[in-house]
Amino acid sequence: MKKLNDFEYPDELKQDFKKAKRLEWLTIAYLISTSLAIYFTMGNSQAMKTAWFEDLLSLTPSVSFLIASHIFHKSPNKDFPYGYHRVTSIAYLCSALALFSIGGFLVIDSVMTLIMTEHATIGTVVIFGHQVWLGYLMIAALLWGTFPAIFLGKKKLPLAEKLHEKNLYTDAKMNKADWMTAAAAIFGVLGIGMGWWWADAVAALVISADIVHDGFVNLKQAVFDLMDEVPKTVDNQKTDPLVDQIKDTLAAESWIKDFNIRLREEGHIYLGEGFVIANQDDNLTQLVEDAARKVQKLDWRIQEFLIMPVKKLPEKEKA
Amino acid sequence: MKKNRYLVLLFLLVWCCSSCGNFPKDPENTLENVTNGTLLVGYSENPPWVVASDSVPTGIEPELIKAFATTINAKVAWQNDTEQNLFEDLEKKKIHLVIAGITKSNPWKKKVGLTRVYVQQGKKKHVIAAIRGENAFIVHLERFLYEREQQLKKRVQHEEVK
Repeated sequence: MKKLNDFEYPDELKQDFKKAKRLEWLTIAYLISTSLAIYFTMGNSQAMKTAWFEDLLSLTPSVSFLIASHIFHKSPNKDFPYGYHRVTSIAYLCSALALFSIGGFLVIDSVMTLIMTEHATIGTVVIFGHQVWLGYLMIAALLWGTFPAIFLGKKKLPLAEKLHEKNLYTDAKMNKADWMTAAAAIFGVLGIGMGWWWADAVAALVISADIVHDGFVNLKQAVFDLMDEVPKTVDNQKTDPLVDQIKDTLAAESWIKDFNIRLREEGHIYLGEGFVIANQDDNLTQLVEDAARKVQKLDWRIQEFLIMPVKKLPEKEKA
Repeated sequence: MKKNRYLVLLFLLVWCCSSCGNFPKDPENTLENVTNGTLLVGYSENPPWVVASDSVPTGIEPELIKAFATTINAKVAWQNDTEQNLFEDLEKKKIHLVIAGITKSNPWKKKVGLTRVYVQQGKKKHVIAAIRGENAFIVHLERFLYEREQQLKKRVQHEEVK
């Protein structure tokens, strides 16, 4: 069976990939520390419980990234002739689903609080012989949940684009969700302190709109990627300009009279086929191989591009 | 740098709130209402914590409540009933406090506000139940209980010996 070539990131991206892995380990350590901080200051506040649950769920992208990064570059073999690249798309699906769930959970939770008019009780604790309002400790724990998360998210975005890593991109969005829920919870705790029992639910509801949106966009894209949609860019889900570049490359070949291509995304890489009508029969095998090589050289993401000479094109592309 | 501006705003808010004196506040002004007024307390017998008698209950917790009421210059109106009825009333905010030797693991804890543990006897962590979410009131009561902590520990040990 013909197997795919081994895949490794190009040299210039290897450093970035290492950096991404380091960032993800850092993220896991950080999220565990915030969830511990929140767990110990939680008391019986529903808002803090939500923030805690959200922290645990937000581990999904970083954990799935690290698991996938151990698997995706394994060599293709007779059982997996296309290699293990799809694991990246599966990880992306998990992350996007986690993000979407957090958003959905926030909406349901805060609406329920408002409907049931639940008044949160926040009492005092004694630390080192001083009796303090637990709300202040909650705020301190939540502040630890904001600034580092902003920093981590900002670091991940450019790496995600360079590495064509949609999972990493979702994780950056997750960090955004993290710091936004933490900030909302701070407003909530302060609101409760002011005697506004509803403050916390309203703050959560406002930010949940943004998280649901991010979650939905990425969930949709993850499903579409698994359904072999034409490759989309990491940041804005538009059709990758590489598709046009391939078309231009084939159009520039003088021996090709007409052609049609299709491309799909397997994790970081693209696989594709081109059907061409040749206007000469001499030396055709050589011409086909040269053209395929040219296309594959366009970008590291094009892992394999097959060219098939045909007499008639399969069917004209619709739209 | 829009985000940063929000965070600065947040900081200012935290600072403002923590610097003003009466924080946290009650959503329903319970502390304000009972100060110089009447404290409505439900009790259910559970010796030695609450011992019912003809008019005014005795025991560890009623004594605590009486002392607490004097700190806010309030009269105490007692109401004797079953725990079920008392918690229902407390949930509907008809009374301010419930005492019945209840512990932290009380299943009503989601519907009412429990104070922090004021004394521990063996594995039983004793608390007092108040209206849920009336944080100024609860914080005030907890401060009072904390001041009495050593005294209460001795008292409970004494009861154990008996």
